[in-house]
Amino acid sequence: MAFRDEIQALSGQNVNLCFQCSKCSSGCPLADKMDLKPAQVMHSIRLGRADSVLNSQAIWLCVDCETCTSRCPQDVEPAAAMAAVRVLALQKGIKPSVKVIDIYYRGFVDNMRLNGKIHDASVAGITQLLTGQLIPDLPLAMKLLVRGRVKPPPLPLGGGRFRKIYRNALAKEKESRA
Amino acid sequence: MKLGYYPGCSLEGISAEYDESIRALFAHLEITMEDLPDWICCGTLAAPSLSRLLGLATPLWNVAQAEKAGYDKLIAPCSACLYHFKHATQTVTENPSLRADVEAVLELPLDSPPPTIHPLELLSDNSFEMRIRASVKRDLSDLKAVCYYGCHISRPAKLMQFDDPENPQSMDRLLNWIGIQTLDWPRKVDCCGAHFSMIKPDIVVDMCQRLFESALEAGAEAIIVGCPMCHANLDTRQNAIAAKLGHALNMPVLYFSQVLGYAFGLPGEKLGFKRHIVDPLPLLKCLKLEVTSD
Ligand code: SF4
Ligand code: SF4
Repeated sequence: MAFRDEIQALSGQNVNLCFQCSKCSSGCPLADKMDLKPAQVMHSIRLGRADSVLNSQAIWLCVDCETCTSRCPQDVEPAAAMAAVRVLALQKGIKPSVKVIDIYYRGFVDNMRLNGKIHDASVAGITQLLTGQLIPDLPLAMKLLVRGRVKPPPLPLGGGRFRKIYRNALAKEKESRA
Repeated sequence: MKLGYYPGCSLEGISAEYDESIRALFAHLEITMEDLPDWICCGTLAAPSLSRLLGLATPLWNVAQAEKAGYDKLIAPCSACLYHFKHATQTVTENPSLRADVEAVLELPLDSPPPTIHPLELLSDNSFEMRIRASVKRDLSDLKAVCYYGCHISRPAKLMQFDDPENPQSMDRLLNWIGIQTLDWPRKVDCCGAHFSMIKPDIVVDMCQRLFESALEAGAEAIIVGCPMCHANLDTRQNAIAAKLGHALNMPVLYFSQVLGYAFGLPGEKLGFKRHIVDPLPLLKCLKLEVTSD
């Protein structure tokens, strides 16, 4: 399937409707940090430039704030297209170009596998440790601890529910792609 | 109406004061809600990034539990959880084959999933106006504050179906009912950077700096919020922002549920004020605050 069609199948978005007004880029709070701005991501998908989109930092810097989707005069949802590109990139085994975000998302799901819920302090601490950002935030962590906003990690119970969903979902997706 | 309550992970951790104040407020207003049994994390952006089906099934597990428990509505105080519940529900409602896949993954039916709503949607309904006005015990009318809605309380409009995506009013209305004339400002729906606080704090500092500058320009002494991530970012990153601004900040960031609870005369301990990095009590105590008699 062509790249553009794959994105359409995953996101339900017809990028051909985009008329490049750039309203999405103008309102995106992360645009100044992105290599491809949201309107450029849309245009690149339309042109089938799979490599540049799948390897862009933009798709990983998107926080899913939905400003773009909310303002698009053509009723296209750039945020949904971004999400579809992220899924496709991982399906194709492409390493996210923003490493810290990859570490965070994976660590987050690993933590869910323990308890079903996440223990926010562990997710934050482990992510920051692995990305070398723990030290600057230690004083803040201490302040949160004394204020009772850092809870002790729970016993790894209750993760069974999520682990089953995880197993089933990945198996089903594999089966439908086969 | 049978209401379910989904606190979400943050409210069991860094945002415990949101949970405490919501529970105290609802109890005070005699609104009964039941904790959703067997809930799991909504998955946020992490689960859908790994697999589309996982990203749908994870929030929908909770929605399926709410359906099983027979709730008419499920209340989610975290606007990210709220968004993921609504988004997943709408996606499978529009796509029967995806719904069948999700049902198979969950081993549970999704026949008539109840809607998820933000507590603001419940409380800002006009039917509560009289009750809320009549419950006021502390006069907070001197509080100079802006309401900050962030991303998902009303955005994207087509999905959230609540309030105005560019200029929401529900929280302002609620606070007006208790006598606070909230200030107008242009950044009430800008993003705070959400979970990037844990991975790219410099980006969050930039984004929140814009919010504080705008709030200060409007003359605000406090920011009132309705999302645990907005609160965490605004409350915990003020040192770094103050260093960039070149002056002290110390601006209390309060949940609407804390402000309402305080106006209704609930004690600060029940509302979690002591958990804030920027202590809101000095500001609240300088207001005139006469406690009216019952
Ligand atoms: S706002 Fe919509 S139409 Fe305009 S550039 Fe972005 S996606 Fe295209
Ligand atoms: S959803 Fe992503 S791309 Fe769209 S405005 Fe927000 S950060 Fe930018």
